[in-house]
Amino acid sequence: MASAKRQISSFEQFKAILRKDIVMELRTKEMLTSMGLYAVLVLIIYYVALSQAGQGFDVSRIAGGLLLLAIVFTSMLGLNRSLVHEQDQGCLEALLLSPVDRPVIFFGKAVGNLIFLILVQIFVVPLFYFIFLSGSGAQSGPWWMLALALLVGSIGIAGIGTFLATMSVNTTGKDFILAIMFIPLIFPLLLVIVAALTAVITADPGYVQTYWTMLGIALGYDAIMIAVAFALYEFILGA
Amino acid sequence: MTPSQSTESIPTDVLALDVHDLSRTFGVRKALDKVSFELAQHQFLSIFGPNGAGKTTLLRVLATLTPPSAGSDVKVLGYDVVKDAFALREHIGLISHNPLLYPDLTADENLQFFAQLYGIPSSKERIDELLDAVELTHRKLDIVRTFSRGMTQRLSLARTLLSSPELIFLDEPYSGLDPHASDILDSLIEGIRDKHTFVMVSHDLEHGLEMCSHALILARGKVVLFEERASLDTEAFRSTYRDTVGLGVS
Amino acid sequence: MVLMVIGGLLTTLAFFMAFYTARVQGFGTIVSEVPLDTSFALAPPNLQPTDGIAYERPWLSQKIFYFHVPVAEASFLVFSIAALFAVLFLLRKDKKYDTRSRIAMETAFVFVVATMITGVLWTRASWGVWWDWEPRLTTYFIMMVLMVAYFVVRNSVGDEERAATYAAVFCIIAWVDAPLSFIITRLIPSSHPVVFRSGMDTTNLIPFIIAQLGMLMIGYAIYVLRATEEDMRERLDILKEGLEDY
Repeated sequence: MASAKRQISSFEQFKAILRKDIVMELRTKEMLTSMGLYAVLVLIIYYVALSQAGQGFDVSRIAGGLLLLAIVFTSMLGLNRSLVHEQDQGCLEALLLSPVDRPVIFFGKAVGNLIFLILVQIFVVPLFYFIFLSGSGAQSGPWWMLALALLVGSIGIAGIGTFLATMSVNTTGKDFILAIMFIPLIFPLLLVIVAALTAVITADPGYVQTYWTMLGIALGYDAIMIAVAFALYEFILGA
Repeated sequence: MTPSQSTESIPTDVLALDVHDLSRTFGVRKALDKVSFELAQHQFLSIFGPNGAGKTTLLRVLATLTPPSAGSDVKVLGYDVVKDAFALREHIGLISHNPLLYPDLTADENLQFFAQLYGIPSSKERIDELLDAVELTHRKLDIVRTFSRGMTQRLSLARTLLSSPELIFLDEPYSGLDPHASDILDSLIEGIRDKHTFVMVSHDLEHGLEMCSHALILARGKVVLFEERASLDTEAFRSTYRDTVGLGVS
Repeated sequence: MVLMVIGGLLTTLAFFMAFYTARVQGFGTIVSEVPLDTSFALAPPNLQPTDGIAYERPWLSQKIFYFHVPVAEASFLVFSIAALFAVLFLLRKDKKYDTRSRIAMETAFVFVVATMITGVLWTRASWGVWWDWEPRLTTYFIMMVLMVAYFVVRNSVGDEERAATYAAVFCIIAWVDAPLSFIITRLIPSSHPVVFRSGMDTTNLIPFIIAQLGMLMIGYAIYVLRATEEDMRERLDILKEGLEDY
């Protein structure tokens, strides 16, 4: 059984982890359906919450916040699921036993989660716009600015979320533990993303300036937090 | 990030396990307390002990999954488990009571995935060859979720052998297997036993003794007995084992 | 124990000094040209609200300052110490660092709660509302939740060492997050006035410093007491472990 030359490349490993997650999801559609349906349920609750707001109420002022809220809650559902897959049959152990650098595992899982989160948003965001904003006559800014702000937010959510979910799958009461760590940690990110989203949706004079400032801060936050998560990931896996 | 490297085969005179003063403590709890022993390559070591004796911890340290406490000197196949963990991982494999396979992937996809992690060349041929060896060729494209426990465990063996590891850890591999399935696993392991070193953790005294070339009893994190199977007095072994198990229960 | 008493005495002293010797001065949004002695008196007319915000009891908001700020600063300092021990723990894997980090977190938590209480009183007295999403208050609120999360995570992991590792990891990331959340709450566009500080008179500075010292001593005393307790417990565990062998 003498083996020929082996080529171990981190990038190939990263692709393997990502591909595996995508193949699994396409087969079961477990995460996408549950996240999508959950998001729809949240939208229904929004309607109930706003049903007595009256004619003069300007939804566009709070639309950014509502949208992000739906995404945050939905994301937690997926984050837990994605790590439970690894834990279930001890697969994470097999991953750790193979010659894979720990950061590769982190990025593999995080990018997978980011992709699923984006897929869900592609479905939810237009729906949200259609239900809540299409009739409000708000003159919002270009749609790509919304998409970019959501992307920057999703990067932070997926990065920090994957990091925390790796811990929470080993605790009793997984979902709750993830929530209590996740929400206060991403609180600052949520603030700036909501500010950026609201700037675009309301399109007040000078909104472009506010938007880019907020996006810059959000990117800085993403970079700092993901760097810390990256540095600490090995310790979580070793425990 | 990782330099691409090729696997070099390990010289046969290197000890498979060279364990000196292996401790793993946390506060007052001593999971492992100055464990020392040596094992040559191509041997079969069975580790026995009551629950909480530190068997699993020992296995996890040897498999680079858990670091030992400071002051321990542990070499596996000549690699230090802390410093050379990355290089060592290419040479070891694990068959556990958990299948370590993704239930929603097919047998082929599972093996493909691990082949990519290990950077195995011409993986398709290798996978076919292994599936044939564990008699699962006809289920190659089926989802693992539909497999019986015995089939899953055979696939697990194929996954482990994929990277041709020099050292294979067996963590309670028989738990949950019916006698027939466990016989099949036995004969599969028997067939490759000269080519690999095995380290097995088991509750099953009979089974473990039958397979092994060396036996080790662990109690409260300490080595109580470490002997070659050939020179082992079975009766004495049994009574030692009973004593240690009694200890663990009290 | 002694430290506890001294710390307590110092803060009490500062408390009286704050009421008797310190003068109302321009903190927060109030700027007054003439220093006024307002101890136990209602606000003088020239400090009454002019811009629509109710300054019912400016003297109260002033007095709280001497406790609110020191306790807040002490809480962040102790939190930093906890994070430092968390880093040490991850590097050395020695249980004693974990114990220290945990105790420091407990102490910091007590201080954060004290900050919250004084902060809420201050907003009530100074802005006429109980709660306001003002950057500092918000940050402390988030910090408090993070600390609750720290203890929840700790207690939800079965294995002792894994619990310690997760707690340490979370402590570090929370410590990085807290200042970020402060900076960001200040940077987002909002209608709240940014609280600014002017210089302090010596008469005001003295009680402030005394209160600060007192708080730090109390913090240190709590820490030492808890550490002694944990140390005793550990020794007891060693004894128990020894007994089990036979």
